[in-house]
Amino acid sequence: MTQPVSPPRDSTAKVPEARPPAWRGLAARADVRTLSLLGVLAALIVVGGITKPDEFLDTRNLQLVLTQASVVGVVTVGMTFVIVSGGIDLSVGAIVALASVWATTVATQEYGFAGILFTAIVVGVGCGLVNGVLIAYGSMVPFIATLAMLASARGLALQITDGKTQIVTVPSVLDLGERDAYVLGVPPLVMVFAVVTVIGWLVLNRTTFGRRTVAVGGNPEAARLAGIDVRRQRLYLYLLSGLCCGIAAFLLIVLSGSGQNTNGNLYELDAIAAAIIGGTLLTGGRGTITGSVLGVLIFFTITNIFALNNLQSDVQQIAKGAIIVAAVLVQRRTASTT
Amino acid sequence: MAPEPPLLSMSGITKSFPGVRALDGVDLDVQAGEVHCLLGQNGAGKSTLIKVLAGAHQPDTGSIRWHGEEVTLRSPIAAMRLGIATIYQELDLVEHLSVAENVHLGHEPTAAGFIVRGKTASASTAALLKRLGHAEIDPARLVGDLSAAQQQIVSMARALSHDVRLIVMDEPSAALDPDEVDNLFRIVGDLTAAGVAVVYISHRLEEIRRIGDRVTVLKDGRAVAHGLPAKSTPTREVVALMTGRNVEYVFPDRPLSPPPGEPVLTVRGLSRQGEFEPLDLEVRPGEIVGLAGLVGSGRSEILETVYGARKPTAGQVLVDGRALRPGSVRAAVRAGLGLAPEERKAQALLMLESVTRNVSVSSMSRFSRGGWIDRGAELGAARAATRELSLRPDNPSVPVRTLSGGNQQKAVLARWLLRGCKVLLLDEPTRGVDVGARAELYAVIRRLADEGLAVLLVSSEVPEVLGLADRVLVLREGRVVHTAPARELDEHRVLDLVMEGSPA
Amino acid sequence: MTEITSRRGLLFGAAAVSAGALLTGCTSNEPSESEDEPAGNDQPAADDKPGKQVTIGFAGPQADHGWLNAINDNAKSRAEKYSDVTLEITEGSNDTAQQIGQIETLINKKVDVLVVLPADGKALTQVGLKAMRAGIPVVNLDRIFNTPQAYRCWIGGDNYGMGLNAGHYIGEKLKGKSGARVIELAGLDNLELTKQRTQGFDDALKNYPNIKKVARQAAEFTVESGQAKMAQLLQAQSKFDALWNHDDDQGVGALRAIEQAGRDDFLMVGGAGALSAFQAIKQDDGVLKATVLYPPTMAASAIDLARALGQSKGIGGLAEFEIPSSLTLYSAVVDKTNVDRYMSTGFK
Repeated sequence: MTQPVSPPRDSTAKVPEARPPAWRGLAARADVRTLSLLGVLAALIVVGGITKPDEFLDTRNLQLVLTQASVVGVVTVGMTFVIVSGGIDLSVGAIVALASVWATTVATQEYGFAGILFTAIVVGVGCGLVNGVLIAYGSMVPFIATLAMLASARGLALQITDGKTQIVTVPSVLDLGERDAYVLGVPPLVMVFAVVTVIGWLVLNRTTFGRRTVAVGGNPEAARLAGIDVRRQRLYLYLLSGLCCGIAAFLLIVLSGSGQNTNGNLYELDAIAAAIIGGTLLTGGRGTITGSVLGVLIFFTITNIFALNNLQSDVQQIAKGAIIVAAVLVQRRTASTT
Repeated sequence: MAPEPPLLSMSGITKSFPGVRALDGVDLDVQAGEVHCLLGQNGAGKSTLIKVLAGAHQPDTGSIRWHGEEVTLRSPIAAMRLGIATIYQELDLVEHLSVAENVHLGHEPTAAGFIVRGKTASASTAALLKRLGHAEIDPARLVGDLSAAQQQIVSMARALSHDVRLIVMDEPSAALDPDEVDNLFRIVGDLTAAGVAVVYISHRLEEIRRIGDRVTVLKDGRAVAHGLPAKSTPTREVVALMTGRNVEYVFPDRPLSPPPGEPVLTVRGLSRQGEFEPLDLEVRPGEIVGLAGLVGSGRSEILETVYGARKPTAGQVLVDGRALRPGSVRAAVRAGLGLAPEERKAQALLMLESVTRNVSVSSMSRFSRGGWIDRGAELGAARAATRELSLRPDNPSVPVRTLSGGNQQKAVLARWLLRGCKVLLLDEPTRGVDVGARAELYAVIRRLADEGLAVLLVSSEVPEVLGLADRVLVLREGRVVHTAPARELDEHRVLDLVMEGSPA
Repeated sequence: MTEITSRRGLLFGAAAVSAGALLTGCTSNEPSESEDEPAGNDQPAADDKPGKQVTIGFAGPQADHGWLNAINDNAKSRAEKYSDVTLEITEGSNDTAQQIGQIETLINKKVDVLVVLPADGKALTQVGLKAMRAGIPVVNLDRIFNTPQAYRCWIGGDNYGMGLNAGHYIGEKLKGKSGARVIELAGLDNLELTKQRTQGFDDALKNYPNIKKVARQAAEFTVESGQAKMAQLLQAQSKFDALWNHDDDQGVGALRAIEQAGRDDFLMVGGAGALSAFQAIKQDDGVLKATVLYPPTMAASAIDLARALGQSKGIGGLAEFEIPSSLTLYSAVVDKTNVDRYMSTGFK
């Protein structure tokens, strides 16, 4: 793909000739980051395999971890785009809650599978549209705009449910979460997660949309002066995050067989934490879907191992916090050496 | 007589970063009361050296002596306690704090140890500003509201608020116009007369001649010359030391006759309230038109308004006779305009990205189908464009931030070359570009013009405008005071025009 | 390019508008069946004859959970039954400072009696004291104040008793089964009541040496967390005989996880008394065999007590002249045998 690199002739190139050129070092570093995440995951698998060989190293457990991770995973893909563009979306959990309750009201359920799916996605995209318009064209700070959305979406979700649990009675929706729906052992939820991940990766790495996202996050002024419509790009990004929330809400409905206003509790923190662990810069301009998804998988593997070993939630939370701090420290170290 | 130990003596300083040996055994002696100039191209190690001196970096090996005694500069505070102050090129001021608060940041005058005595701070700040010849800056104003030159003064006031024995100035004149530079030199003179040593970093050789006592030249992390007399060392010798070769500081030949043809860029009555008055100009394919003027003359503002990055109060910009939607960068880019802005890092480059992506960012639709990027085609096109401009290193996959200033500028030019733009707007194209690389950049710009590009050039360096442009518009306070073919003007005349507003 | 995208935008806009129209219809949550009364036991605790007019101030937390919602409904519908009771109900809040402000407003309005379900019992003690000093008797509902001086009467559920009764029910069901394994799906772990429920459960199981509790995970009273934690528990324990789940709301999720795992080899006991749980117990076609009550009807009883206090009456059926200073409700076990009796108290 790349041609042999001629030795640096420019007097300002500081890299000694014996060393590989700087770009290769950078590529290697990016790989190191992914590899280190894979290493963490592998270490966790070893821990799980040693402590609970029968329960942990089991196809059903793999299916379980991936299924549980798929809801937050889909949200994290959208969040990664937003963070790479230099923004933040604090409203994801609330949007998931609102979409999941709106899609499971008695009236919506009358429209069956399609009605539930359609409503979840349209509510998600609609909330994303409001976020995007406020941020891109209302010049609101993303933190504030999505914080406002968090509050109102949660409020609206509570108003719709009146605090009650809305149980899904549409069989085709419920069936999707059962073992009978697995295709070649893969749960449909996991398939959706995988498809969203692959599409997310392709869009971020192989399309003009992804390039614009990175450009807007890396240097919005340069992007504008290079002729990119920065505002429209921002609008699309929050729409995308809303879309992911809508999909996640549908997955959650399938998974839990219900809609509740408490759904999606603290998803925003999980998604942001996973993205950061995966190497996405909070300041924007850099991030990978692979890293974020690995971050999500690490979280859910830890939860799984802890639950299998019957450790209690206090210990789980402490470990989660420690992992976030460790990941950020590693990231800073990597950043300071570049 | 036993020689007095120098105020500062650094010897054998080395400092490595992963993959880079930034300093490779540098020696530097500074005497009290002298202006010691530090010269070197970008990446020669100047910044690292002054960061070591400021306590911001710890050297790997080597020793630092202060008044002959060995010291360790563990932190910026340690350096400050000795009396070493640094004024960085990128000013480290807090925009949302007032002038007085910035000056006393970290050492606020306090009562009872923690209550900030605002009046005292404000009075001492006013005194410092007066000493610096800028009594008009109100200590209560927010730093963010000040001009770049004024911010520089505040930064200097902050340095002087300590009991300073040695002051490091990193390209202090870069943001200043000639008046301000004179004032700066007066301040430097006052300081040295009081026995303070100044380490002065600049690209401008003529400044070094004016105020420098001795010169140390850095190249590739080594000091290639120590303590040369600043006034008498021939320029050619200094340039040779910096670049390692003898470079003629030459401008390319311009065509004998003005290029024929209809203007591609026409500006009619363009104005922006409070920035510049109605302006008319035309640029033909193959022509380079220069705008000369001081800081504050509205040069950059004109360029950015033509480009649509600022919305005009009145007037039109036409490309090939068609008016552009005012205030729309996208309309300008679509019509064939391209801007190489003054602040390359802040306004043009995606510093985390490769050269390829920086070059292709404005022409992505050319390598994509349905939003899908053909990366092979992208790389090929970026390679072709960067080769055309002899961008070094010849590998568009390297991160753009590893490039020198001149090559970063070439990456920006390659972006517009690839886009196939018709009009290139250049704002200070050689700012931050070292001497050796300038001539090459001039040649590139002229070659692009020869190939049919229309170029509108803005520069604060009059010789650059005169040497490069075919026609020159002289600006003074947002108004064109004179238009003439470049060959009919000389530097003296232009300076008269920008100062006086009328041909002398 | 702009043209295309803006047309696309227009199309999207049109789609959004029509979707919005459809969605607005979809927020309707009124089931086709008739609204049924929440408060079950219609027996008035105090004298039913109309007496002196009493204004009762009611302050509770935000009803973001089925049980809390039922509390509000019970209080309201009970108050409507009495022609001599006026209910001043505040907007529910989980914010301590806001709830203090709301109660102070009620004090200033000079209501006759206060019924308070604090968001946080300890944090609201001072305002309870303030009301009592102002001569307004306070009925403290469920989450108890720090000191008895802050209330005239406390009425609430018995979290320890819930665990105890759940443990005894399971113990009796598994009697004679040697090496029986039991797991526990607890509620939100940072609440004291969760610890009390677990303690009661553990204490009850001590009476049955053949039973061992092999696992415990805490969910968060939500369906989502119930599903997630139960799925993990099922994976961790390939074989067990009984499950106690602290809360019927999270139980919806737990049942979903059980269904997804295709497990039916154990019996499950719930907690609180949700309508969905009662229905499942009545149908008796799943693992859920019983639930231990934490009855939201306590809010109706609190209104009764408040009215009686306001009218200076005692409780009918007791020899006492005065209302007791504390009433701990019994955490009854509802199973197939008695579920019909409780059906009307089930909350959604």
